[in-house]
Amino acid sequence: MLWYKSWMETRWVFLIGLLVASCVAASVVLVWPKVMGLLPLAATIDPNGKLGQEIRESAAQVADYRSYIVSQWFAKNLRQIASLFGILLGSGGLLSQAAGGAALFTLSMPVSRKKLLATRATAGLAELGVLTVGASLMIPLFSPSVGKSYGAGETLLNSMALWIAASVFFSLTFFLSTVFTDIWRPLLIALGVAIGVSIVRPFLHIAPGYMVFDATSSGSAYAGDLPWRGLLVRVALSAALLYGAVINIQRRDF
Amino acid sequence: MMLFRPNPSLGVPIYLQLMDQVKHAIETGALRPGEQLPGIRPLAEELVINPNTVAKAYRELEHEGIIELRHGAGAFVSRNSGAKKLTDKLRAAQTTVAAAVKQLRAEGLSEEEIRRLFEAELAGLARGGNRE
Amino acid sequence: MSDRLTIETSALRKNYDGVEALRGLDLQVPAGSIYGFLGRNGAGKTTTMKVLLGMARPTAGAARVFGLAAGDRNASVDIRSRTGFVSEEKSLYGYMTVERIIRFTAAFYPKWRRDLEQRYVRAFELPLDRRVKALSLGTRSKLMLLLALCRGTELLMIDEPTAGLDPAVTEEVLQALVAYVSGEGATVFFSSHQIAEVEQIADRVSIIHRGRAVVAGALDELRERFRRVQLVFDGEAPAPAFRAAGIVRAQRNGRSITVLSSAGADAVIEEARAWKPISVDVVPVTLKDIFLETVREEQ
Repeated sequence: MLWYKSWMETRWVFLIGLLVASCVAASVVLVWPKVMGLLPLAATIDPNGKLGQEIRESAAQVADYRSYIVSQWFAKNLRQIASLFGILLGSGGLLSQAAGGAALFTLSMPVSRKKLLATRATAGLAELGVLTVGASLMIPLFSPSVGKSYGAGETLLNSMALWIAASVFFSLTFFLSTVFTDIWRPLLIALGVAIGVSIVRPFLHIAPGYMVFDATSSGSAYAGDLPWRGLLVRVALSAALLYGAVINIQRRDF
Repeated sequence: MMLFRPNPSLGVPIYLQLMDQVKHAIETGALRPGEQLPGIRPLAEELVINPNTVAKAYRELEHEGIIELRHGAGAFVSRNSGAKKLTDKLRAAQTTVAAAVKQLRAEGLSEEEIRRLFEAELAGLARGGNRE
Repeated sequence: MSDRLTIETSALRKNYDGVEALRGLDLQVPAGSIYGFLGRNGAGKTTTMKVLLGMARPTAGAARVFGLAAGDRNASVDIRSRTGFVSEEKSLYGYMTVERIIRFTAAFYPKWRRDLEQRYVRAFELPLDRRVKALSLGTRSKLMLLLALCRGTELLMIDEPTAGLDPAVTEEVLQALVAYVSGEGATVFFSSHQIAEVEQIADRVSIIHRGRAVVAGALDELRERFRRVQLVFDGEAPAPAFRAAGIVRAQRNGRSITVLSSAGADAVIEEARAWKPISVDVVPVTLKDIFLETVREEQ
């Protein structure tokens, strides 16, 4: 029944997220022929200067369908969408309910606070996973319509890696929701962090093994083996944030 | 069933009011010896008062020999003479009190003043150690 | 009634961000009673219930329900599985329908009373397919009461059960509470500042003031113990310096002295006799008088 409650409280965010992500995934595939049509233009640009170099680099990246998908979908659009909906799914919860008074009803149930939080976190992470993986499945599904193909296995691996990356933002918001009693501050702070990270990322010299899908990395074709170290760090970070949330809620007086 | 109607906001304990009302019902013949009284639960739920209060009133009434609590069967108005004697005694006492009240009223005292006089007198009795 | 205590606190203290909500509360709620917890707004009634249910942790002192420590996380889950609670904030999950939230709640309680559920759905006229957020305050209060009454638990804890309800609904609610204890021999612990309803159904009361119980006991005993004595003197009344125990308040006003005693009138009259009053009046005291006198702020 706690699952039902978690589902009822997050289903709209989840369904909208799934719809938006699926549409974007399908359109990434469908615009591929147009992008190919524009590619010859890139060669005509003045080869000197920083801008010209960047354009040529990305054109080279895009020329190959597989790296086009990785750079445009996984590393760019899906990363942004998954992070955003991770944040949205992670917000709300007991403390924001406390303002409306319904938290006391929840807390009168014979359930520990740890279990309440664990259910909510598991449900949210599962929804984020379905959203990430489900939308990515549009890639192998629509690829034949532009005369290309993309492996389902690779889609699964890549999207699950991104799920883990986006989980950090879910967990961050989830944690912040146990610190602040309103729903806005956790949302805004997490969004700020997400945007901040994406801005400073290119200037940080992070070892490639710790990154998940870096669009600006020199490797133009993503090989399909997972950045294990990067994923492990993110799992650990998520776990720490979720643990912090449990500690916070258990200490809390309502 | 509306024989009893205790008023919770009087200063008098509800069980005492209920006891008085049962006694009154017996005196007036509304309840006859051997007749059954309402059960504790139904009466409590009907009057919306605490079941423990009803139980206490019944226990005290039994103690005074006015009713009998038969295990499992309920409460019945006592047939034995002890209760009768007491009711007779009470009835006689009531006549005395009625006469006294009537006289005091005739002397122009208000109901409240008479009540206070009785209270004070009772307190005075206790002081003298005459209370049972 | 047994002597077993369902709720017991001793010297219970609770600070919220430096504010002392409870300042050494002693409470004994025997099993099988309807216990009225009276107090003004902000006296600490809600805080007490929150501590008892593990929603807030005690700062100091002891709080036990069914003999289990309320401050212990695991024991607290056990306490809640045996307690029906209605909070003062009549707020539920707005997105669920009435039917849904009943099923939701029932899932947590193995002894859920389907029979009572059907009875109160009818008695309270609850619209099963309406969403909770569309309900009026009165209907929501009744729904919350149903969700507590049907849990099949041995303790019912209700914060202001009739706040915001009209007199007819209030009577229905009080009736449900009386039926609850008379049926299962369960205990009802409810807070209120509606003295009339406390007088009507409670057999024991406690008056809480500024985080402390100032009066506690069986209501009948309180009614028998509390007396107001009015002494009138020929000339100026003497200073009311009583040695008798249980004097709540003694006030001199010109030629008269009014004494509120929590231990009967006898000792007061005995003592006052030495001052040769010209008249002595004894008046029984209602719960309302007791309440007002004990929670009156000292000037």
